Amino acid sequence: MSDDGNAKGAAGNGAHEPRIGVFICHCGGNIADVVDVQRVASTIGKLPYVVDASTRTFLCSDPGQVRMEKVIQDHKIDRVIVAACSPTLHALTFRRAISRAGLNPFMFEHVNIREQVSWVVEDKEAATLKAIRLISAAVGRIAHLEPLEKRRIPIHPAAMVIGGGVAGLKAALDLAQRGIDVALVEKSDKLGGRMLELDRVFPTNERAKDLIQPLINEVENNSRITVYRNTELVDSSGVVGDFNTKISIRQPGAEAREVEIKSGAILIAVGLDVYEPHDGEYGYKQYPEVIGLLDLQKMMNPDGPTGGKVEVNGKPVKRVAFIHCVGSRQWSGLHKPQADGKINDYCSRYCCSGIMHAAVELKDRFPGIEIYDFHEDIRTYGRGHEEMYTEASEKGVVFLRYDPHKPAQVLTDPQGKAPLIVRVADRLTEGLEVDTPVDLVVLGNGLQARDMSSLIDLYRCSRGADRFLLEVHPKLRPVELAAFGLFLAGSVQGPMDITEATGMAAASASKAAALITQGFLEMDPFIAKVNEDLCTGCQTCLTICPYDAIYRDEEKEIAVVKEAQCTGCGTCAAACPSNAISQFGFTDDQIISEVKMLLGDIQVTTKV
Amino acid sequence: MPEHATSQVSRTETGVWTPRIVGFLCYWCSYTGADAAGTARMKYPANVDIIRVMCSGRVDPELITTAFSRGADGVLVCGCHIGDCHYINGNHKTMARMPLIRKVIEGMGIEPDRFRHEWVSAAEGEKFKEVVTDMTAKVTALGPLNWPQLMYDRGVGHGHDLKPWGE
Repeated sequence: MSDDGNAKGAAGNGAHEPRIGVFICHCGGNIADVVDVQRVASTIGKLPYVVDASTRTFLCSDPGQVRMEKVIQDHKIDRVIVAACSPTLHALTFRRAISRAGLNPFMFEHVNIREQVSWVVEDKEAATLKAIRLISAAVGRIAHLEPLEKRRIPIHPAAMVIGGGVAGLKAALDLAQRGIDVALVEKSDKLGGRMLELDRVFPTNERAKDLIQPLINEVENNSRITVYRNTELVDSSGVVGDFNTKISIRQPGAEAREVEIKSGAILIAVGLDVYEPHDGEYGYKQYPEVIGLLDLQKMMNPDGPTGGKVEVNGKPVKRVAFIHCVGSRQWSGLHKPQADGKINDYCSRYCCSGIMHAAVELKDRFPGIEIYDFHEDIRTYGRGHEEMYTEASEKGVVFLRYDPHKPAQVLTDPQGKAPLIVRVADRLTEGLEVDTPVDLVVLGNGLQARDMSSLIDLYRCSRGADRFLLEVHPKLRPVELAAFGLFLAGSVQGPMDITEATGMAAASASKAAALITQGFLEMDPFIAKVNEDLCTGCQTCLTICPYDAIYRDEEKEIAVVKEAQCTGCGTCAAACPSNAISQFGFTDDQIISEVKMLLGDIQVTTKV
Repeated sequence: MPEHATSQVSRTETGVWTPRIVGFLCYWCSYTGADAAGTARMKYPANVDIIRVMCSGRVDPELITTAFSRGADGVLVCGCHIGDCHYINGNHKTMARMPLIRKVIEGMGIEPDRFRHEWVSAAEGEKFKEVVTDMTAKVTALGPLNWPQLMYDRGVGHGHDLKPWGE
């Protein structure tokens, strides 16, 4: 920082003096009713380098902008302060206006005197003084601005999809249909993922294989898609637009082969895991009659190992119990945590509907079968799901509801009439303790994030508290990861059913395609820059950067910013012990000058 | 009010002293939170002047000490809640840095209530209002800091620091 970091300091180095134009907006009466804009303009007009300070009723209006452009040209203004509403609303409007007047759009400072002054300060005098202070601060800051250019990052016109389950297949196909080359990377030896293990799926009751097989065929026959099976991610380098991922491909009887895949964007579709109950949880692994919902799917599958027969110990099953929320909606202190000490406190979202669907099918296929449903709550929220719940009720499924703190117990039948009983205090009958003899207990086991540590290390993915990968914003940017060029496709992002996973995969493909077909990515210029002479190579910045956007040049022994990867948070600039890093648009000089002018520097007050 | 006057003169012109507080706010959460307070037309004291940074992780300790040395009576730093950072974990660095800054500031004889660090989300206009109102009241109760004079009395500090409000 220069010691003379006030507005005047900017005139050094023989450069021509800044010529600042200040435009103050009345915003109708929104600002002018509270802030005395004329007094503000006359005070600010006397600050150093301010060649013109004027007010306007609506600066953002077309005539307002035209007038601004004219003033800029008439007064040979080279940088502009607009004091108006919040920059989130109109900074872009005014950047465009000053561009039209021939200025660099970043020679601009927006002062918020509406949301942060006139709308919140009641006293007119206080509001006027506050507006003056904030604009003075902007004068200090803008005097130190330098022209900046938006960064344009070229995007390699190909995508890589990681994971060949239903979401990955759908995303790959959607991309290929938009004319984009896709590398589809699958860990196992076959495409299809978890759907290969399913029989019929809700809510349409179609056979899973009838859905997934055509999708696999389409992908395999698409000339734009290259499928790599038996793969492992080895290494990754590059940034958005130019990712280079090294994969290793296992080959029977031969050494693994390495392939490098170049892509402009990466879609992550690695899916999730099914919760494996711990031994003894609801009798799991303790009694052979206790199975998971997916095991039941296998049993019911006519092409499966039992040929579609639902039997236990060689005998047809007559009485079935379903238990909900196994491994979902867990309570700390009540449920056994996972290895990382966390519990699955979220809802897994597929199990209630999956249970209703299975119950209806059992009732249809095995007349006379008795079905008991043990739940804390039932959440059949999806389209067509509530209808399955209604149908299950109508077909005679018996529902028993327990308190999550007094969960159902699976025990051997003391009377020996059945292999097992399920004991609950049923809340629907005022806590009556009920023992239900059953032949089979099916656990509605939930879903959880899989171990993605190597993926997370390779691509610097952010992760939620629930261990699933985390989007930038759940509503506004639902399929993007914080690091540019990385997209989430399907249930890697959280528990989803097939409908939701393919929907999210399609959204992800569409976002990636928009990026790739545009051919470039335009980014704000507020990135970090290292002063080579000051950098000591201490690597503090390397450890602090959230985006892995700084590396060490081993030859020069200094830090270097990867421009395409830097998002401009400025954390490194604050941390650098030798002041070698500055952030474009937010340099120390700029901010310190802003602080000094805000607090009233000598030069300001003596300038009359 | 004389025509040449800038803001700082007001404290003497109006005869009533009110504190000057510098607020460093991250753009994505806290600055937008302050906007939210405005959009909802909440009213709060005019004493916190906001300086916008992209991330609270940009707030170099030097910026805070500069504010105090130039005559601020208080400094407020606001960032996104942990887990909400627009830059993944820039605010983790803020979280790590702030207690150290607090120690340094306290070591310099500045009362703890003059420095405050808060998480304010884009939706928390109400919280921003409360923080500003509360902090203004506390700093008002403490009175002027006048750090440059404090330093001068202790035999440190420079000429220009001594007279931050002009000759």
